[in-house]
Amino acid sequence: MYPLLELLQILIFPGILFAIFLAFIYEWLDRKIYAKFQNRVGPLYTGPMGILQPFADFVKLLAKEDIVPNDVDKPLFNILPIFALTLSLTGFLALPIISLKGIISFNGDLIFLIVLMTLICIVVIYAGVSSSNRFSTVGAERAALQLLGYEIPMMLSVVSVGIMANSMWIYEIVSIQSNTFWFLIGPGILGFAIFIICGQAELERIPFDIPEAETEIVAGWLTEFSGRKFALFRLTRNVELLYLSGLAVTLFLGGPSGPIILGLEPILYPIYFLIKTLFVLFLLTTLRALFARLRIDQMVNFSWKYLIPIAILHILFVRVIF
Amino acid sequence: MSMLKEIQKSLFKKKATVLYPFKEREKVHIPEGLRGKIVFDREKCTGCLLCSRFCPSGACEIVVDEKGKRPIFHLELCLFCAQCQEVCPKGAIKLTEEFELAAFDKKAFTIR
Amino acid sequence: MQKEELRSEDKKSSYELFFDIPVGPQHPALKEPAFFKFKVEGERVIGVDADVSYNHRGIEKALEQRNYIQNIYLIERICGICNVAHTLCYAQAVEQIHGKEIPPRANYIRLMIEELARIHSHTLWLGVAAHEIGFDTLFMYVWRDREVVMDLIEMLTGNRVTTAINTIGGVRRDVSDEAKYKVKKGMDILEERLKYYKKVAINDPTINARCSGVGILKPRDAIKLCAVGPTLRASGIKNDVRADDPYALHDEVPFNVITYDTMDVLARVLVRVDETLESVNMVRYCVDHMPSGEVKIKLPLSPPIGESVSRVEAPRGELIHYARSNGTNKPERYKVRTPTFENIPSVCEMLTSKNGYEVNIADIPITLASIDPCFSCTARMEFRDVSKGKTWIWSLEELKAHCKKKGI
Repeated sequence: MYPLLELLQILIFPGILFAIFLAFIYEWLDRKIYAKFQNRVGPLYTGPMGILQPFADFVKLLAKEDIVPNDVDKPLFNILPIFALTLSLTGFLALPIISLKGIISFNGDLIFLIVLMTLICIVVIYAGVSSSNRFSTVGAERAALQLLGYEIPMMLSVVSVGIMANSMWIYEIVSIQSNTFWFLIGPGILGFAIFIICGQAELERIPFDIPEAETEIVAGWLTEFSGRKFALFRLTRNVELLYLSGLAVTLFLGGPSGPIILGLEPILYPIYFLIKTLFVLFLLTTLRALFARLRIDQMVNFSWKYLIPIAILHILFVRVIF
Repeated sequence: MSMLKEIQKSLFKKKATVLYPFKEREKVHIPEGLRGKIVFDREKCTGCLLCSRFCPSGACEIVVDEKGKRPIFHLELCLFCAQCQEVCPKGAIKLTEEFELAAFDKKAFTIR
Repeated sequence: MQKEELRSEDKKSSYELFFDIPVGPQHPALKEPAFFKFKVEGERVIGVDADVSYNHRGIEKALEQRNYIQNIYLIERICGICNVAHTLCYAQAVEQIHGKEIPPRANYIRLMIEELARIHSHTLWLGVAAHEIGFDTLFMYVWRDREVVMDLIEMLTGNRVTTAINTIGGVRRDVSDEAKYKVKKGMDILEERLKYYKKVAINDPTINARCSGVGILKPRDAIKLCAVGPTLRASGIKNDVRADDPYALHDEVPFNVITYDTMDVLARVLVRVDETLESVNMVRYCVDHMPSGEVKIKLPLSPPIGESVSRVEAPRGELIHYARSNGTNKPERYKVRTPTFENIPSVCEMLTSKNGYEVNIADIPITLASIDPCFSCTARMEFRDVSKGKTWIWSLEELKAHCKKKGI
């Protein structure tokens, strides 16, 4: 491949700029659908139907004063927002969008994506601890506990896909799905459900917004972050939302594949990808509108009593079939 | 989970929000008898000063002009309790249904 | 120097097992200023220290400097949400000094507006409680349906919140037949919606997980700590001023005193929802049985020398007003006892872990909210030296020492 083209792919489409653009759109959609569920209007005035609202929020936060409290661990405190954003953007690069191969693609890249997801959560824990605020400390503690809860079933559901495709390479998983017309959605539906529930916990959204529970511990691990740093963390969340719904699509819904007219793949693939991720986003938002926030002990309980046994049974089931 | 049906329904329902100040202004229902901006009829006033005696917030200031003692109403202090309307023996004070009272100029808050 | 000391103290405490979590004076769980210092060990709350005296407004002193008519409008500003209960209690206290009965139609209107205000307050609380446990969808729905009762109150009294409907000797506005029809229609909508929310509160798994078994207040503790209102009734004790000491024709209008005996936050939710349903029926009864006649009698501005106490069941619990008149047009002494202040010891009891009863940090907001706190009326006293322009608050020990020094 041409190096210039590759650079353009990484930087613009379907790389970083596209991811950030899409992240803003998805946050807007998330807010809009959430508002619709609650019989409200949602963002309205910035841009047509408020589509520029997340971007406006981002720019406003960039312009705000960036306060670094005296007692924080300054190097960590300053570097963590950038680190978090980098991690989530890197994950996005591995997703196949314009072809069946992501920009980063190698055998075993599924494991790489799993590691990235866990690293983002570790960044969250560090962010909470480095703030040396009481609310942040409690938030970090909760984030760590929650990690113990959702990480294992999530990994198990991802591994079940690997077993079904007999590969840990995303390219192979997607191409098998496209050849056999999404055979994974049949036996993989349970894995998909577990992945969506755990994704909600990874994204810290209701009912699992425990580490940043607003009415309990102010903003949890985010309490001390302000201005630019807070803006970056918000953007990280949005990119992560996009990344997780993209990963769910890649693993369970056949990635960008679909009915293809020859020669038009580069245009059709992103369209299929968008349609499928929108469906996943809709599911995630529905979950968010349906529940009250759980307590951390209830969350871990739920995960270890129900999610993990179901995930293990699912793996056994998949192993027997394939 | 018990609200699943309800939120599904609201996907296709009309939104409850009234886009009040910029659009759909006419949708804001103002009932008859809302206690809003004070209108003062200077001709009817006899200068009995009951309004200022009963005003709970001191929004009713008494000034002396060519007709004698007459009240001035300061809307920025007013509670809109309509006590002045109730005690006025001549019916010179009336609270209208106008409720949009924000203004850039403080003079707009003084009713003579 | 002082700052460094503070910092070294903080550094030391970060290695300790327990640390303090401050909730308030500014905290997302509290809508008004109050300060709760929680001693926690991880997620577990061990002890709580409350300070509710943040917002002293000097209302009782201000009441002594205005005449009886002006005081109606001052007294309804003690609390925006229970303003009807406050004016009703005030009007009753003053009428008692006058020794006059008000016409029955006025009483019916008073009762109707009081119950409408109770519906408004309880639905508002239900929304806030849903928000405290992170259930924003329920919050939005409840507040949307609350608009029905707000519009009715606006139509009947001329304002959405501060109604200014009660006055000394009756009510200020009559209710027309058209308004009665609208009220009945509104009650039908509300009844249907409230029954739905009751079903949601009972059936939803996450609401149950967050509310049942949380914030337990045993009946014996409730009586010992003088809990009032729905907090007391959720502990299974039948106590309601409307039934025990009927005022404003509450003995004529039938209703049930709701009690639940699970003693937790869910019981408080259900008590309030059921009470709202009772209020809906009471409003219907009032509309149907309203007698014709005058709505107001004229009373002189200055009541005779005397004193009186009046009680009202406000949405948050028993409200007591005491008035003493010296024959002038201003009260000589006026005392207000608000329900939230009575419930503070109970909420501290609910938030302390002991004997196998565990309180988590996550339970703090919903337990605090479960008494429907209104902290603006809890600051009881402060001292002010006018000549020096200084304001301060004394603790009980300091006050005792001062009294001893002065020989009081």
